[in-house]
Amino acid sequence: MQQSWHAPDRLLVGSVSIGLAGLVLLPIVLVVLGAFVPTDRLGLGLEAGEPLVANAEALRYLWRNYGEWLLFSGRVALITIGIALVTAVPAGYVLVQRPFFGSRLLEELVLLPLSLPGIAVSIALLAAYPSERGLTLVVAGHLLYTLPFMLRVVTASLRTRDVAELEAAARTLGASFGQRMLWIVLPQLRQALVVGALLVFAVSWGEFNVSYLLNSGHPQTFPAALYNTYANESLQRSCAATALFLLGLVPALLAIQWFESPDRTVR
Amino acid sequence: MTSSALPAVRVRGASLPSSRWLCSPLSVILLALLVWPGMRLIAESMASDDGGWTLAHYQDLWRLSRLRFALIASILLSIAVAILSTGLCLAPAWLLVRRSFRGKRVLRAIYTLPLSFAGVIVGFLVALMLGRVGFVPILSERLTGIPWLSGAAYGFAGVLIGYLYFEIPRATLTLEAALERVDFRLADVARSLGASRLQAFFWVVLPSLAPALLSTAAVTFSVSLGSFGVVLILDARSFSVLPLEIFMAYLAFPSDRPAAAAMSVTLLAIALLINYGCRLAFEGGGNRGAAVMARA
Repeated sequence: MQQSWHAPDRLLVGSVSIGLAGLVLLPIVLVVLGAFVPTDRLGLGLEAGEPLVANAEALRYLWRNYGEWLLFSGRVALITIGIALVTAVPAGYVLVQRPFFGSRLLEELVLLPLSLPGIAVSIALLAAYPSERGLTLVVAGHLLYTLPFMLRVVTASLRTRDVAELEAAARTLGASFGQRMLWIVLPQLRQALVVGALLVFAVSWGEFNVSYLLNSGHPQTFPAALYNTYANESLQRSCAATALFLLGLVPALLAIQWFESPDRTVR
Repeated sequence: MTSSALPAVRVRGASLPSSRWLCSPLSVILLALLVWPGMRLIAESMASDDGGWTLAHYQDLWRLSRLRFALIASILLSIAVAILSTGLCLAPAWLLVRRSFRGKRVLRAIYTLPLSFAGVIVGFLVALMLGRVGFVPILSERLTGIPWLSGAAYGFAGVLIGYLYFEIPRATLTLEAALERVDFRLADVARSLGASRLQAFFWVVLPSLAPALLSTAAVTFSVSLGSFGVVLILDARSFSVLPLEIFMAYLAFPSDRPAAAAMSVTLLAIALLINYGCRLAFEGGGNRGAAVMARA
């Protein structure tokens, strides 16, 4: 491929890019290290010769006290994935293959929450369903912010692969609606569904703005536990909590990159 | 986009029993979780103590100096972050689209890492790096004897860096998708006609990027506008943003729900205004899908 000799300045582009990558990565590396270092200054405050002893005490503490919260977040994510799949997949199919009057409006409405502040949506949900605080309302909030991704992935996949043609061929051969769904449409969507589910998981796992106020009692979603440890606990425990959060998130993000890659053009 | 469905299929579809009912679960969810709560929110924001209607909670937004400050600070901070992140992330987006090199996928993964970090995490990371005993001041004290940037996290600089941090993935992904559609042959033509590298960039490439830059700025603006975790954790004295005031009003004893609702409606109105304003300015740009993907 031809190099971009008309780039404004290679040095500038390179150094800003590397600077930003460092800005993103360095704190994350430090947090993970900090989870194992039982000192207040990440070990940098130690006098020369003082031994630096790593331990997993903070991780054990967090698992004891917030393990249930971790599992609760996982449960919220799984329920959200389930509901997103059964609502967005059939709707995505209709929006692409059988658009009707009002389908544009529906698509707009699904995407709308992404431009809305999460805290305002939380307050609206609480105004409408004050007695549903807890799992139900948390899932409701997460659905609003994850459905757009599921729908996008499904419609994008249906538009690029020629599912319409395959389906029409199957129909002329006598396949019923149910058969075509089960044997043509869903298999074509396999990769999209995996990516969609992973996206839903990643968003739900990290959600704080449409989570915190919707929670009630114990356990709550894990980002609420992060807030608690940041506000009340030692640096090591705060780092450990963040590391546990990353332990759930990073594999999902890597899997998204992995599954998305065959569709991306190789450059 | 919808019109790209094959016409032949649509004709066949018309003869089929309608499958529109497949949309109904999604429609019901949106009505129940978005439309109805939105109406309830507006009603709550205008509820007065005696059961009647009032606009007092909206007037408070301007009358109370704390809320007025938070409203203005939210808007200005979001504008600053939108401009900064769009400008800075043009570099990595350019690198990802226009260059081929080893480790590109790793680099791309790094930029997308903070995509679904909650604001509180970013706030903690900023404190870890730039707090009074943060990594940067301690390391620089060891190396040079002077604790550089000690406590910088708790001022405006820390807040700005935190906001910038979680806009990096959004801005980079949105711009990357936009750059992929730019026709760089035009810049080659300009060069062959005698334009300098900088001239070709500023007069040919940049104008064709304008819609993408604007939509990236709109995405980052509205994400920043709703975010408050960074300020919550850094507890920057003398600084507040409107979403944080909503959070605090709701958690206060006694909980001031009408005030929280009025602030929420205001925030929603600004977000919608920006979103639709930008789309009207550049209607027809196919960048919306990209913008959506970048907001995970």
